[in-house]
Amino acid sequence: MYDVAVIGAGIAGMEAASRLAQMGYEVLVVEKDGRAGGHVAGWDRLFPFQRNAANLAAEMLKMMDRGKAVKVLVNTTVADVQRDGQHFRIWLSDGQGVTVSAVLITTGFKLFDAHRKEEYGYGIYDNVTTSADLERMFASGKPVTTKKGERPQRVAFIHCVGSRDEKVNNRHCSKVCCATAVKQACEIKQMYPDAEVYCFYMDLRMFDRHFETMYLDAQTQYGVIFVRGRLSEAAESIDGRIAIKAEDTLMGKMLKISVDMVILMAGMEAAEETDKLAGMLKIAVGKDGFLNPVDEYLQGNFTREKGVFVAGACTGPKTVSETLADARAAAVSIDEYIRDGSEEKSLREEIIEKIRNKRVEIRNRRMKNEEGKSIEF
Amino acid sequence: MRERFIYDPFVLPFMLGFIFIIIYLVAGIINTIRELPYEDRKKLGKSIFSRKIFVSIKEIFMECLIHSRIFRRNRMLGFMHMSIAFGWFLLIVLGHIEVQLYCPDRVNLPYFPIFFRYFMMETDSTLKGALFFFLMDAALLMVLIGIGLALYKRINSRLMGMRRTTKLKMGDRIAMYTLWAIFPLRLLAESFTSGISGGSFLTRGFGLVFESFVSNEALIQPTWWAYSIALGAFFFALPVSRYMHIPTEMLLIVLRNAGIKSKRTNAGYGNIELYSCSRCGLCIDACQMSAAARLDRKTTVYFMRMLRQQKGDIEAAAQQCLMCGRCVQACPVGIDSCRLKQNVRRSESFLSPAQYRYLPPTETIRTDVLYFAGCMTHLTPGIGKAMQTIFERAGVNCRMMDEGGGICCGRPLMLSGQEKSAAIMIEKNTDIILQSNAELLVSSCPICYKIFNEKYNLPIPVMHHTQYIEQLIDKSAITVDHTGLSVVYHDPCDLGRNSGVYNPPRQVLHQIANLMDTRYEREEGLCCGGSVGNAVLTGDQRRKIARDALRKLTEEKPDLLVTACPLCKKTLVGAGSQPVEDIAQVVVKAMG
Repeated sequence: MYDVAVIGAGIAGMEAASRLAQMGYEVLVVEKDGRAGGHVAGWDRLFPFQRNAANLAAEMLKMMDRGKAVKVLVNTTVADVQRDGQHFRIWLSDGQGVTVSAVLITTGFKLFDAHRKEEYGYGIYDNVTTSADLERMFASGKPVTTKKGERPQRVAFIHCVGSRDEKVNNRHCSKVCCATAVKQACEIKQMYPDAEVYCFYMDLRMFDRHFETMYLDAQTQYGVIFVRGRLSEAAESIDGRIAIKAEDTLMGKMLKISVDMVILMAGMEAAEETDKLAGMLKIAVGKDGFLNPVDEYLQGNFTREKGVFVAGACTGPKTVSETLADARAAAVSIDEYIRDGSEEKSLREEIIEKIRNKRVEIRNRRMKNEEGKSIEF
Repeated sequence: MRERFIYDPFVLPFMLGFIFIIIYLVAGIINTIRELPYEDRKKLGKSIFSRKIFVSIKEIFMECLIHSRIFRRNRMLGFMHMSIAFGWFLLIVLGHIEVQLYCPDRVNLPYFPIFFRYFMMETDSTLKGALFFFLMDAALLMVLIGIGLALYKRINSRLMGMRRTTKLKMGDRIAMYTLWAIFPLRLLAESFTSGISGGSFLTRGFGLVFESFVSNEALIQPTWWAYSIALGAFFFALPVSRYMHIPTEMLLIVLRNAGIKSKRTNAGYGNIELYSCSRCGLCIDACQMSAAARLDRKTTVYFMRMLRQQKGDIEAAAQQCLMCGRCVQACPVGIDSCRLKQNVRRSESFLSPAQYRYLPPTETIRTDVLYFAGCMTHLTPGIGKAMQTIFERAGVNCRMMDEGGGICCGRPLMLSGQEKSAAIMIEKNTDIILQSNAELLVSSCPICYKIFNEKYNLPIPVMHHTQYIEQLIDKSAITVDHTGLSVVYHDPCDLGRNSGVYNPPRQVLHQIANLMDTRYEREEGLCCGGSVGNAVLTGDQRRKIARDALRKLTEEKPDLLVTACPLCKKTLVGAGSQPVEDIAQVVVKAMG
C-alpha cells in the first residue's frame, strides 16, 4: 500500500517523489524506461549555466533514494487505473495491482519526430541531425563531426522544427529550443572557433532571466550568425553537404547556402502515455495534446478529477527549473489534498496519525545513521 | 369500350401546364443548340443520323427510366427511382396504346390518355380491356410504391444508403409535393370512377371499399379536378425545380454521346449539365469536405444550384472544392462538375510577363530520360532519392530537370484559374524539355503528370514513375524481391480518377508486397486532404479530411500505407502515426 503513485521518473517525477517522501508519504514511482532520469539524464549541459545534466539527474536520484520511502519500478507502465472510492486502484504492466490515495502524472513530453518534416531530410540525408542527437554527441565527449568524420566548417541550426507549425498540427511553442539552439551554437563555436554557425529562426524567444545575455554572448563573443527566416527545403549534394533554401526576412532576400551539418531543433509534443492516462483517468486534454489543469493560475497541479495531479512537461513545454518548481508545487498540493481533502474524518485522522508516526520513524532512522557514522569515523 | 365524353373543363389546368411546358422545353432546346459552338452543332447533327443515336436511346432507357447507375450504388435507392420513373413511363405509354386501340379518333387530344377512364367506359368486359386495366393498375401501383419510398426517405435516408440528403428550397418543395400528389389523386379519381369505367385490382378494389362509406359519384368530379390541377401545377413548377432534370437529362445524353464537352464557358453544354442535376444529393456523402469536415453546404449539389439560379457567391463556392473528382464519380447523371467549377474559377486577371522575370534562363540539359521531381517531391526528398537510386540501378542516362528548384509545372495556377500565368510556366518548361533531346519525361508527382499529359503538347511520352517502374521491372532493367510487407495502396486523385492510372502501381506492388484490398480503391479512392485544388480550406479542415482518409485507408492495419504522390504522402504522414511511403521507396527496399 502506497500513498502516492507517481507516473514517470523524469526530473518532475523524481523531484515530486523525493519531496513527498520527505513529508512522510510512501511513494511508488512507475517508469516505462529502463532507468529513472528521463530526457535530462541523456543530455550534456543545461542552459543557462552549463550545469552538467547527467550529474543533476544522478543527484536527484540519490535525493529520492535517501529516505528509502520511494519505490521505483522501471520498465513498467500503467495498464489501467480505476477510482475506488477515496482511492485509486492501479494495475501495472507486470501484473501487480496497487492501491494509492493520490496519483501524480509526470509523463513529460515526447520529442517531435523530425522525420515528419521530410523536407528537411532527417533520416534521408546523412548530415541532418536533431538537437537531441547533437546533445548526445556532446555528452559522449567525442568531437562533433560529419557522417564521414570530418570537422564541420559550416553548421546551420533550424529553429521551430515541429513547433509553431500548423502543417504538423503543432501550434504551440516548445519554449526551450531557442535557448538550446543558442547554447549549442556557442558550444560548436567553443569546439571549432573558426566554423561558421548559423541559426535560422522565426522569433528568438529569450524569455528568461539569463537568456538575453546568452544571446548577446552568442553574437558578440562567439560570432554566431542569426538569420530570421524559416527554412523552405534542404537538398543533399553529391559531396554530402546540405544546400538549404530560406528567406532572410529582415533583408527581404532569398538565401541559398551550403552547409556541412544541419541541426533541427526538434520541439516537444505530449507523450503518448499522457494521452493514455488522460483517457483512463478522465482528465482534460488540450487541443495540443498536453493536459489541462483545473485552474492554470491557482490550481496548476490539480485536475478536474479529485486526487489526480499533474506536474512537469505533461502540462506543456517547460524548462528544467520550471519543471522542478512545478514538481515541488505538486508535492505540496498532494500533501494538502491528503491531509485536508479526505472527506471521511476517520480516514483523515488515520492518515495524519500514520504520517506522524512515519516522520518520527524517519527522524529516528536519520539519527541512527548519523550515530553510526560518528562511530565509524 | 364506349366513349362517354370528349371534353370536361377539369382538363384545363392540365392543358395549360402541358402547353406551357412544351413551349418552355422547345424554346430551351433551341436556345441550347444555338449556344453550342458551330463544330459541336455539326457533331450533334452527324450523331443524330448515325449509330450513336441508338446508343443514346439505350442510355436514356437505362439511366432516365431504370436508373442503373443508382442501382449500382444502392439497390433500394435505385428501386425507388426506377419505380417512379419507369412506372410513370409505363402509365404514359400504356395510356397511349389504350387510346390507339379503343378510340383512335382521339389520338390528337393530349389530355385523352391522361384522363382516359373518365372519358371512356366499359360496356362489357373484353379480354383486352381487362388486360390493360390490369397493366395500368400495376404501373400505378409501382409508382405509388416509389412515392411511398420517397416519403420514407425524407424521414430515414439511411435505408437508401444516404447519410445526408439535399436541403431543398421552395421551388423544389412545391414541385416535389405536387409530384407526390399526382399519383394518389389519380388512384382516387380512377377508384371513384371505377364503378362506371371499370378497373382492375387496385382501382376497382379501392372503388368498392370507398363505395361502402362514401358516395363515389359525388367525388368523381372533385378528384379528377384535383388530379388535373396537380399535373398542371407540376408542369408550371418544373422549370424552377430540380425535376427539370427529367427532360434535360435526355438531351444531355444525346449531346454527350455526340462527343460534345463543355469548353471554356458554361454556356450550352454546361447549362444543360446544370439543368440535368436532379439534386439527388449523392455527391454530398461522396464529398470528403462534407463527410470529414462537416462542410455539407459546400458540396457540389449546392454549387450547381447556385450556378443555375445565379444566386450567392458563386466564385467562392467554386473555389471551395478539392477537385478530387469524387462527386463526378458518384454522379448518376455523369455531370462533370469539376469542369463547371474550373470554368467559374478561370480568371482573366493576369500578371504581366514582367512579373515572371525572376524565372531562370532556360538551361540546356542533354539526356535520354528527363526526370521532373516536382515541388512536392522537393519537400519529400525521400522520394527523389529513391528515384535516383532506381535510375542508377537501371543504368539509365537520366537528368533531373528541376534539380535547383526548377519551374512550377503550372497546374496549381491552372486550378486557381490563372491560366495565362500557367501558360508562361508551360512555355518555359516546354523549352527545357525540347532542348534536352530526351526520349521520355518521367515525373514523380501526379499533379505535374496530369498537366504534362493534357496541356503541354509534348512530342515525347510522359510517364508517372509508377508506370516507368512497372516498365523497368517488365524489361528486367531492375530486379525486385518480395518484401513480405502487407500494404494498402492509396490512389492519388490526379493519378487515379483524374488520369486513369490504376494498374501500374498495383502491378508493381503485387510483385514486392502483399497488397491488401480496401473499400476505397480505384474510382472510389479518397482525397488525402492536401489537394492543391482548394486554396481556401483551413488547416484544421484539411487535417480532419486527412485523418478521416487515413483512418479509412488503414482499417485493415497494413504494415505500410503506400501511395504514389508526394503531396498525398506528406499529408498522410502528418495525419497520424501510420508509416506512409511512396511506391518508389518501397521498390528501392525491394531491390535490396
